Amino acid sequence: MTNERHLEMDELLGLRDGEGSAFARAHAGSCGVCRGELERLCRVRSELCALPTFGPPRELWPRISRHVWRRRVRRRLSYGAMGLAAAAALAGFMILRGPAVEPADAWVAEATSEDLGPMINRARQLETVLQYYAPQKRVYDAPTALVTSALEDRIFVLDQMLLESRAVGADREVLRGLWGERVFALEQLVTLQVVQEEKRVWR
Amino acid sequence: MSPTTVGDALGTSRIYTSGMRAETLAVASAEVARARAGDLEALEEVYRAYQGRVYNLGRRICGNEEDAEDVLQDTFLEVCRSIGRFRGEGSLWSWVRQVAVSKALMLLRRERHRTAHSLDGDGNLAGMVGRAPPEPTVPIDLETALGRLAPVTRAVLWLHDVEGYTHEEIGELMDKTASFSKSQLSRAHRRLREWLK
Repeated sequence: MTNERHLEMDELLGLRDGEGSAFARAHAGSCGVCRGELERLCRVRSELCALPTFGPPRELWPRISRHVWRRRVRRRLSYGAMGLAAAAALAGFMILRGPAVEPADAWVAEATSEDLGPMINRARQLETVLQYYAPQKRVYDAPTALVTSALEDRIFVLDQMLLESRAVGADREVLRGLWGERVFALEQLVTLQVVQEEKRVWR
Repeated sequence: MSPTTVGDALGTSRIYTSGMRAETLAVASAEVARARAGDLEALEEVYRAYQGRVYNLGRRICGNEEDAEDVLQDTFLEVCRSIGRFRGEGSLWSWVRQVAVSKALMLLRRERHRTAHSLDGDGNLAGMVGRAPPEPTVPIDLETALGRLAPVTRAVLWLHDVEGYTHEEIGELMDKTASFSKSQLSRAHRRLREWLK
């Protein structure tokens, strides 16, 4: 051995990792003990890398995708509120388009459920009323057309979100929120039609 | 790249290969582009490609199944939210791994606050649970020894020796210095030397 002391752990690790000092390199080159220790450190690292790999014990993607979906729904709902105002501002006048709503009838299975059933059935009633007023076939004054259009756009967005939420198996809580919003928008649309009809009758 | 053999370290040729795990998993660039656009199916592809490695990383750093699951979930929630920010510089795995390491270390920090003990004190398990397990009277295997290390010490050991992070990178990830990382690595190997005899 050319030097009086053995290398400390940090010196050996530095050497192992290519950062060793000239002293450490020279010492390990001539000291069997330190060289043995260096070999051991290399071996431990190899053994660490060769340890068995753990795999997830259960499937987590459905939970993750539901989280992601819920976050997107929330974001889109807040964008939707801004979109409502933008749509109303943009449309100067219009001839109302065809109905943009997916009938509540498409939700047959959920219509009997305790939590969603009442909202789906209420939506169905409102859609029936709307069919009577057929807003898409009427021409209104500009302000009414703006609000009608905005409400229909909102319902259209909610329908898409409901369809996608159902497709990815979103929580009932999310579906309830969306259905609640849809019913609210339909009620506003119906109210608007009723008011317009009353105006027309009394004119 | 650090030397992988004693021969490399000493400037001569010889023996061990490190067995450093190769990053072979890849996601097709078209899938990455779709994932960046928020396509859930493409994001699922990313998840399928890396879930095992992320879970293993979480398991090795945190030391238990429950926390590893949290790391896996938190990592992919973050990946789904932020993949649009992945600019394609470096591999997708490097980016995902960075997220996973951050999540795992965050979990350790949270645990530290919860137990109100410092982990970076003397670096033994007492820092985490209040009382160190008794010293083993007979040699133990590497797996058991790894489980006995204090969480931060184990994290440094794993990140440096297996994942290939530098001391500077580890220091940055832990809001500490490179010296802190070096001292934790020394501590880890001193412990392993005692226990694996």
